[in-house]
Amino acid sequence: MSLARAILYRLVLACITVVLLSMIIFVGCQLLPGDVGRAILGPFADAQSVIQLDHRLGLDQPLPVQYWHWITGMLQGNMGMSYEYNSPVAPFIGHALVNSLKLAGIAFFLVVPLGIFGGVVAALKQNSWIDRAIVIVGLSATVVPEFVSGIILIILFSILIHIFPITATPPRNAGALTQIYYLIMPSIPLVMLVFGYIARMARAGMIEALNSDYARTAVMKGLSFRQVIWRHLLRNALLPTITVVATQSGYLIGGLVVIETLFNYHGIGSLIFSAATAKDFPMLAAGVLVIGITYIFANLIADFLYSALNPRISLKEKK
Amino acid sequence: MKKQDKIISDIRRSLSDVQNDVVDGVMKHRLDRRGLLLHGSRVGVSLSALSALSGAMGLGFIRPARASGAPGGTLRVAIATPPGEIDPVTYDSNPALMLGMQTGQYLCDLGPDYVLRPVLATNWSANTDGTVWTFKLRDGVKFTNGEPMNADAVVASVERLVDPKNGSNALSVFRGILSPGNTVKVDDLTVAFHLDAPYGNFPYTVSSDNYNLIILPANYQGGFEQSFIGTGPFKIERYVPKVGCSFVRNDGYWGQKALLDRVEFTFYADMESQVLALQGGQVDMMAELAVVNGRALMNNPNFKIVSCKSNMTSQLHMRCDTGPFQDKRVRQALALSINRAALVKGLFNGYAALGNDSPFAPVFPSTELSVPQREQNLAQARDLLHQAGVGSGFSVTLTTEQYLEIPDFAILVKSFAEKIGIDINLNVESQSAYYGKAIFGQSDWLDCPLGITDYGPRGVPNVVLSAALSSGGTWNAAHFKNSTYDDLVQQYDKALDLSSQKAVSKQIETLLLDETPVIFAYFFKTLFATTKAVSGLPATAERLYLGDVSIAQN
Repeated sequence: MSLARAILYRLVLACITVVLLSMIIFVGCQLLPGDVGRAILGPFADAQSVIQLDHRLGLDQPLPVQYWHWITGMLQGNMGMSYEYNSPVAPFIGHALVNSLKLAGIAFFLVVPLGIFGGVVAALKQNSWIDRAIVIVGLSATVVPEFVSGIILIILFSILIHIFPITATPPRNAGALTQIYYLIMPSIPLVMLVFGYIARMARAGMIEALNSDYARTAVMKGLSFRQVIWRHLLRNALLPTITVVATQSGYLIGGLVVIETLFNYHGIGSLIFSAATAKDFPMLAAGVLVIGITYIFANLIADFLYSALNPRISLKEKK
Repeated sequence: MKKQDKIISDIRRSLSDVQNDVVDGVMKHRLDRRGLLLHGSRVGVSLSALSALSGAMGLGFIRPARASGAPGGTLRVAIATPPGEIDPVTYDSNPALMLGMQTGQYLCDLGPDYVLRPVLATNWSANTDGTVWTFKLRDGVKFTNGEPMNADAVVASVERLVDPKNGSNALSVFRGILSPGNTVKVDDLTVAFHLDAPYGNFPYTVSSDNYNLIILPANYQGGFEQSFIGTGPFKIERYVPKVGCSFVRNDGYWGQKALLDRVEFTFYADMESQVLALQGGQVDMMAELAVVNGRALMNNPNFKIVSCKSNMTSQLHMRCDTGPFQDKRVRQALALSINRAALVKGLFNGYAALGNDSPFAPVFPSTELSVPQREQNLAQARDLLHQAGVGSGFSVTLTTEQYLEIPDFAILVKSFAEKIGIDINLNVESQSAYYGKAIFGQSDWLDCPLGITDYGPRGVPNVVLSAALSSGGTWNAAHFKNSTYDDLVQQYDKALDLSSQKAVSKQIETLLLDETPVIFAYFFKTLFATTKAVSGLPATAERLYLGDVSIAQN
């Protein structure tokens, strides 16, 4: 199989996954309790007004018809109109997705080097107190829920000593540096959550590489230990982290409802959460689809990167 | 004739019979200064005449509160994200209406003291039986787009709300009171409302109490979020859905200009983050504060809590037509099991008043306070259950919504009821699941044997009296049907003066206390929280008047 065909094959698979995802989302959204018209107009609105609104939104049509309208709209790039805000969904999703990508980006930027560094150091100092400290700190940080670490950070750095702003939303027209400054504190709980995971993966990869024949060969042929690490071993520590980053991407982009709420940040997680509570089906479905697609493509890219970095795994050989 | 007497008789000559009845009330000591203000303003006596009367009768002159703070500055306000589109015709949430009223205004405003203050109307009066109310409009008021505010705008604004096509919540406020086509332009600055039935409290129906009735231009077609068109002290600077919005002083405002240069609202998904933002100096005030979230601010000298009396409550309703609560003795027993003072302290840190199982909250001047307060009495409650044949107790499910203090209230009701042998299972649902379709047969709220439902603040008890408790009431979750009660409510609606209102309210309160279809355990205050730098905020429940607010500059 040529590389182009392999890529095509993976893309088709991804598309099928997206279609299945869209069906699950559509059916899932129908399971939400309550009535859309009622949710929009409020509990005390007249029953007649509710029926009229439901009709206007096409909610009295059969489910397959509603699904067809929705999915054909999506394929034409029309995400639909938000029931709740009575305006197009796309700008909301676009704005929120950009925000989420920024936050996830900063978090990755901080945690990936930190995690790899931690893992490598732990592997090199295997079984020493440094190793144990890194493993235990990483594990402990992972189990602290983000709303706990978030609140502690806010109280420490925003209320007791004013170092960081409480909100993650920068002032209007803020420059890149200001935006980063506003995003540092919200990204720390995420760093804490993912650090232990990356560090452990990097440590395991590194230890495996350290014990390998080629590492021994490299040392014996006279390379300095530092050179061995940089040229031969680091790549092995890097590989597992790609998987971690890819599998965490869905969470770091769409699952940060708590962090976004705590730091009043307008990401896609809180957008779809509020859409779900308001029964704003077009917003919810579009949001979940976008997260799903991001996740699927992050994994696709991870696969390609993995094969590029690791000659033992090649896409071409996959049947 | 003394000078004061001459002033009084001069003013009285210009007043109608109904208006003179209010003055009689003061002279016979039935009304105090507050009563004069409240009822005088309700029947349309101008504030200047009321002030002169009050002064001449030795009650002291009434001076409008004047803003005393320094002008300038930006006030940063934290507010919950308004759900849905902000359109005065359809909105039904506090954050949306609090934003709408920064630029929009009503014919009259309900003040912190439940006195109506003229705003876009200068005065109003009723015919003798209270079926036709005539409102005089303020001259020279312009919308932010330059169009004049006149009778056409008022007629169109009201007709828009009574048209079922527009799906306004105000439809249920106007039902049975004002029908489509009955709001009539008399001249360019006079509007007459021809009511379906006599209604003494009608001015409240067209005041800020009916939050949808912001006066909009006659040709308004929606799109409020783009224009925030209105006549108020501020005008829109920028609105970003789900993120926030800002307003600047409207220099073309007809009244006293706002002190602040700008007001900046930031939307928050929950109250905890707002409290943190206030503590961290990110905002200067919170537009809403629930006691449960605000305990950290209450004992901190750096913050001010502005508390507003209101009739907000959570009704504990019991089905009177079926199930264990058919017998009124069982309903009385549950009511007697509840320790109301403990609820006020525990749920609200004291920011609440005791309820006496009727919608007549202490804040309403027409409430008859001489009706004895129901208190916890477990022995009597057990006796009543015994008499009703359920002395050994029974099980029932309490269905309610996840909202404000209600889940905690439900748990406390469960523990109180346990003491008299009633075993309550809790079923706490999301608000949308609880309200369902909000019609009988398709709504947990309206169908459950025992439920707790939130009720927002209202300037007068009329709507709750009829919708929640009368035989044909659309919110009658207790399924309470009592013809004597229905007649009394009609009498109350018709009553134009306070003394006749009070006479009826005493009968209603006594009847409801005996029948107990609904337990009104408390009426809680609404709170604002600000930093020390903010001053001049009126304590008006769920309405955010920022025109006189100022912020100390550092």
